[in-house]
Amino acid sequence: MRLLLVEDEDLLRAQLVKALEDNDYIVDSVQDGELGLFQANEFSYDAAIIDLGLPKMNGIDLIKAIRAGGRVFPILILTARDNWTDKVEGLDAGADDYVVKPYQIEEIKARLNALLRRAAGFAKPSLDFSYLSLDTAAKKLTVSDNLVELTAYEYKVLEYLMLHPGQVVSKMELTEHLYEQDYDRDSNVLEVFVRRLRQKLDPEESLKPIDTVRGQGYRFNVPPN
Amino acid sequence: MSRQTNPQTKYSLQQRLVLAFGILLMLFLGLTGLVLNRAFQESIAASVEERLQLQIYAVLGVAEPDTDATFFVPDLEEARFSQIDSGLYAFIFDQYANEVWRSPSAVNMDPMDLYVTAQNITPGQMAYGSTQTEEQGPMSFASYGTYWSGLEQEFSFVVMESVAPTAAEINEFQSNLWLWLGGLAVFLSLAQFALLRWGMMPLKRLAQDLAEIEAGNKEQLGEDYPSELHNLSHNMNMLIQSERQRQSRYRTTLGDLAHSLKTPLAVISGVVQQDRKLDKKDMLDVSEQVDRMNQIVSYQLNRATKSGQSKMLITPVSINPVVKKICAALDKVYLDKKVKLEVSVSAQATFYGEASDLTELLGNLLDNAYKYCHQQVKIQILDTNKSVQIVIEDDGAGIAEQDRHWVLERGARADTRESGQGIGLAVVLDIISSYGGELKVESSALGGASLRVSLKST
Repeated sequence: MRLLLVEDEDLLRAQLVKALEDNDYIVDSVQDGELGLFQANEFSYDAAIIDLGLPKMNGIDLIKAIRAGGRVFPILILTARDNWTDKVEGLDAGADDYVVKPYQIEEIKARLNALLRRAAGFAKPSLDFSYLSLDTAAKKLTVSDNLVELTAYEYKVLEYLMLHPGQVVSKMELTEHLYEQDYDRDSNVLEVFVRRLRQKLDPEESLKPIDTVRGQGYRFNVPPN
Repeated sequence: MSRQTNPQTKYSLQQRLVLAFGILLMLFLGLTGLVLNRAFQESIAASVEERLQLQIYAVLGVAEPDTDATFFVPDLEEARFSQIDSGLYAFIFDQYANEVWRSPSAVNMDPMDLYVTAQNITPGQMAYGSTQTEEQGPMSFASYGTYWSGLEQEFSFVVMESVAPTAAEINEFQSNLWLWLGGLAVFLSLAQFALLRWGMMPLKRLAQDLAEIEAGNKEQLGEDYPSELHNLSHNMNMLIQSERQRQSRYRTTLGDLAHSLKTPLAVISGVVQQDRKLDKKDMLDVSEQVDRMNQIVSYQLNRATKSGQSKMLITPVSINPVVKKICAALDKVYLDKKVKLEVSVSAQATFYGEASDLTELLGNLLDNAYKYCHQQVKIQILDTNKSVQIVIEDDGAGIAEQDRHWVLERGARADTRESGQGIGLAVVLDIISSYGGELKVESSALGGASLRVSLKST
């Protein structure tokens, strides 16, 4: 999952980046509203965390501009002003949730997680597809009620595919959302991950939950519950 | 602000002027009437005397005495002397007050009525008087004393005239006089009232404009006042404007202060949470202190931004759009809960206060309802003439009867609360008390808590 973080306080930004990266998010961070808008327009993100008090372009205007540009990824507001006028204004401008400073990192992670799965249309913390169930809070996969161990990268690939069910996801898109920008994008590595995932999800190769769409990418094809 | 009725403020300016001019007018017209009436009466009296005097001279001119001290008076020019009971009578008395002659008109006069007139009078002197007669009513008379050298005797000539015609004349004059003066009084009073109204109109308009500003229909006073009021209205506008600016500057400053205090707190909090060398207890201690500092900062800043400002600067806020906005925001935040919301707010329900206070009040109460509900939240806003009632209900666990007063008390002082609680209810209670309203915790028919806020309407 690739996140955009717009926060002007250097220390806070560094802390957040570290905490989020520790949780396997890919984070692009910038320190003002204009840079935030540039990033949002130029790259594809799964979610954004935006501080309301920003230099150059304040958070509310940034959110409005992002929404005006047609970007629909979920936005989490960080605000130091613990009053409803600001919260309502932020949510009204197009944000989806808020966290008041100072916050617990755990709270940000939980809210972010909820926003990401809500954006994909899931109301519960677990993504349930027939015999497959991915618990996004505990990061655990069960196949026909049996717990299956996944590596961090396998989890990321599966989560991304499950959050875009029935859609063709290109290898390019997958790498963009799963790796740092400067990562050596070797598509063979991705193919290895997908092959391993298929084995774990469908050891008998009878259900084929992940299609390969020739020349385009992958598609998760199990119908959601 | 109660308006005391001390004598200085009991009467309005208009009442004072009307009263003062009214009294002055009545005094002036009354005195004028009295003086005119007196002057007229005096002139009437003088003309009566003059007439009587002339009649006496007429009688004197033709009277011829006989040797036996009686008089022969041929027909007088004045016809009324010849008509019986005509109202004009002449008499001649000798020095012993014996009547020696009377005009034919006085045939029926009772001698007793003449008694007062039959007095000795120094020759050459004229005396005037009045008397009441049995049959003719009040009369005026003049007596003139003469010395008749041929007879070696003094006589007095008396002419008597009924007062009735002059009295009627005076009466008519008086009723005319008072009628005119009365009419004048009415006309002047009306004119004075109209002039005062016209003169006072700018003041009245000023009061109306101020009321409009208070009601929120106007931003400031107009500039089209007469020169005497122009300075006042101009200064008031400046005052209103600068106070508004000061308020908004104050808010911005406090907002910035919140931002600059809380960001370091967030950094500290983050450092503590990520520092793996800290032992668990130290981490909890620091977190708790950071949390407390945050609560105090939030609470005090919220208190400070809360207005409590004068009514002059308040624009009434329509409640309905605010409720809609907050509910839309909360629907996003609590999307997973799929809260069933029931709203009944009359379109014209109005909050007489600062918009941010209303948002804070509803935001905190509705956030609690969304947070603690099972699936249902109900908002009712009842706007009566006297008060606005905001009732927010949910179908959650509710608040037990014995805990209700405690919830309100604990909410009341955020800086003494234990950590881990939100400051929401404390802020709500502060806002309600600053508007002189009250909060009641009850049970809802939905099964959970029902919070009822009552605010005065004006």
